[in-house]
Amino acid sequence: MNIRIPILQAILLVLISILIGIGSNILSSKPLPWFAVELSVVEDVEIKSNEPILAAISIEQAKLFFDDEVLFVDARDEGYFEAGHIKGAMKNIFLYELIFNIEEKQNKNTPLVVYCGDPGCGDSEQLAYDLKDSGFTKLYVFKGGWLEWSKAGYPSEVGK
Amino acid sequence: MKYLLTGPIILFSRVILGGVFIFASLDKISNPEAFATAISNYHVMPFGLENLLALILPWLEFLAGVCIIAGIMVDGAVIMIIIMNMVFIIAISQALARGISIECGCFSVSSASEGDNIGLITVIRDIGYLILAFLVFYRQKYQFEFFPKSI
Repeated sequence: MNIRIPILQAILLVLISILIGIGSNILSSKPLPWFAVELSVVEDVEIKSNEPILAAISIEQAKLFFDDEVLFVDARDEGYFEAGHIKGAMKNIFLYELIFNIEEKQNKNTPLVVYCGDPGCGDSEQLAYDLKDSGFTKLYVFKGGWLEWSKAGYPSEVGK
Repeated sequence: MKYLLTGPIILFSRVILGGVFIFASLDKISNPEAFATAISNYHVMPFGLENLLALILPWLEFLAGVCIIAGIMVDGAVIMIIIMNMVFIIAISQALARGISIECGCFSVSSASEGDNIGLITVIRDIGYLILAFLVFYRQKYQFEFFPKSI
């Protein structure tokens, strides 16, 4: 291998990175799964069980939660929130402030639903993982988000 | 033009690019999970490959950064920096074009630092790095390069 050839150097760098990346994950105390799996949608949610959960829910389930007065958290930016959100949903400004606001209303083991714009947005899932890392144990991601909710004509509101 | 490709600007570009890439890699190396989520938000990776990319890409950034500063395989390192920057520019642009608001995941992926969302400024910044990288790639003078030994 002629190390003077630039493209071979680049390939060598990639190979070393693959080796270190995979090696460090094997040796890591908290290894990442090799392939990402999407959050599975749960049917028949046992809201009373004490098992920790982080799962996706359908719009039907989200509506049931809404009727049960489960707390909804809007993961989108402020502008989107103000233009329209699920009635009673909490605004996400800054993670620590959000956690503080949630804990004023309920404890970390009470179910809450996180949503964002549409099934393609990732903010809700990311926020759910952040909340999980902060100790929340019953997290549901409403994948359909604002798009499905507003289309269904379910209760919503605008403003701050 | 010749001055651009021979003068101290080449060394300056190497230090800047190396520093930026090393700095960008550190938080991702220690938080591969958060970086995987950040990648997945771009919706460009098929088959759940974001996890593998999240494990390997930060090390590539780190190695390329170290090599370009230390003068080791500068050509290879700068090629990888050019490719990575082009991929970043495309990924960010397509997300902007689709109007999705996501966190950049460029320098920091931990949840404590919110507000680092992508925008036109992110693309312009990356184009700036790309220009520096091309200067290094087309350099006419090989200063402070140790392996392979500059002629």
